[in-house]
Amino acid sequence: MPFLHEIAYVRSGDKSDSVSVGVIARTPADYPAVLRTVTPAAVKALFGDWVRGEVEVYPMDNIEAVMVVMRRALGGGATRTLRLDQTGKALGNGVLRLPVVDAPAADAA
Amino acid sequence: MPDTVRLGAGSGFWGDALDPALEVLREGNVDFLSMDYLAELTMALLQRQRGKDPKAGYISDLPAHMAALLPLAREKGVRIVCNGGGANPRAGAAQVAEVARSLGLTGTKIALIEGDNLIDRIDELMDAGVPLTNLDTGDTEFKRIRNRVVAANAYTDASGIREALDQGADVVVAGRVSDNALYVGPLMHALDWDYDRTDPNLIAAGITIGHVMECASAATGGMSSRFAEMPNMGRVGFPIAEFSRDGTAVITKVPGSGGRVDAHTVKEHLVYEVMDPASYIMPDGVADFTRLRLDEIGPDRVRVSQMGGRGRPDMLKLIIGYEDGWIGEGIMFFPWPDALGRAEKAKITMLERFERLGLKADEVQFDLVGVNMLHGPAAGVPTYDPNEVGLRVAVHTDTKAEAEKVRRACAQLWIMGPGGTSFGAPLKPRPVISVWPTLVPRDAVRQRVEILEA
Repeated sequence: MPFLHEIAYVRSGDKSDSVSVGVIARTPADYPAVLRTVTPAAVKALFGDWVRGEVEVYPMDNIEAVMVVMRRALGGGATRTLRLDQTGKALGNGVLRLPVVDAPAADAA
Repeated sequence: MPDTVRLGAGSGFWGDALDPALEVLREGNVDFLSMDYLAELTMALLQRQRGKDPKAGYISDLPAHMAALLPLAREKGVRIVCNGGGANPRAGAAQVAEVARSLGLTGTKIALIEGDNLIDRIDELMDAGVPLTNLDTGDTEFKRIRNRVVAANAYTDASGIREALDQGADVVVAGRVSDNALYVGPLMHALDWDYDRTDPNLIAAGITIGHVMECASAATGGMSSRFAEMPNMGRVGFPIAEFSRDGTAVITKVPGSGGRVDAHTVKEHLVYEVMDPASYIMPDGVADFTRLRLDEIGPDRVRVSQMGGRGRPDMLKLIIGYEDGWIGEGIMFFPWPDALGRAEKAKITMLERFERLGLKADEVQFDLVGVNMLHGPAAGVPTYDPNEVGLRVAVHTDTKAEAEKVRRACAQLWIMGPGGTSFGAPLKPRPVISVWPTLVPRDAVRQRVEILEA
């Protein structure tokens, strides 16, 4: 099964205790698979207790990207967190671990 | 009024390189050079410096940067807009005036912008019934941290920058204006924008371009997922925006500089540190990033069109910094074979030491460096025997003395720990300034502009 890193790029950053990850389809053809794969439930499950709040996913059809917002996900924010990656720069790459979700069979035909 | 305004990025953060800013000045044919120095945490550090010395509190690199940039900027008529005033724009601007005089650039006009600093007005705001609810946690008990507050700065809009430029400032030294306003302000001045008269879509276009520009090389290949294919990143060019009066813009850079501008580098920065991309809320307006269009129109040239958004919000973001205990931390490394096993046994040993030392901590975190330090629960367990693994521990305590116990426990493991333990230099405990993000009514914040002449 391919992983998200084969079809998407990321940019990751912080806003106080939230982590914001832009996931950008490598090509327009990859965008539907990015949309299927990056869901709030999938992201929340991936990071377990590192994400204590909600996960939101906002599509950006115009640039074939989705914004992933993870609330209360930085251990209290950049200045307070006990993590070495104080600004969540590496967590975007973590999202790329998600296995790509295939299109439903009817669509694939 | 010009058809096109040329904006150059000169700094994306405190610590950024100066040579790309000089390159933009020399070869970028820009009208304005915008320099961002501030992050959420910076204001608290600067406020603390000002507390110790009333003449400090601005970005300490500011005089050296201006000494390097001013001669060329004055010669070419490029106006510099920065937020390097930090917690003390008045002292920062006075220093810049001193630098200009020492370079013989008499007559240089340096504007300072104050009014974002609300540290002395918190009680007044509380008395007026402003709830100061924590935007992250929903916590309404601001009173709980009131006595530990060390900084309170509102993200202010571009109106002060516009006023300063209208008055002929060659250099603008602002405090906590939004990073974005460093770009919107010059546009408001050059294109005669006004919050009441101007189409909000135009101002939102300025906000969008400001967002693309504000972290400098982050739009020209820095931090890119495609970093491996980016040319000469050690001499990367900072971005330049050619902003047209019709609300479209071209992002580019100096020809021959390192890095790249293409649709992907612009996309990568469009999504950086954004929450809901349809509502990018800035003090100057609300930009919608979900309807703009990007076109690659030439080498290192990307046109951004169909930008838009809505008018400015009634509330401004207020970042309050407060003292929040201490962090003690340590790190050590273990070699093959069975490096992971050594690290795990060292962790158990360290927990025993913490118990013996009576460590009082409200949070303890262990990371396996090389395994899960960066991705935490998302990272799997290695299925091979790694060459080396590190163990990092970090704890949060109320006092420095408690945090110090972590350093002691780590040092004790140098001998008590596994064979091959490599410990490097011990880390000192550090004080924590936590951030309490909240909102304050726009009307409660008044910017003041003053011009100093060198």
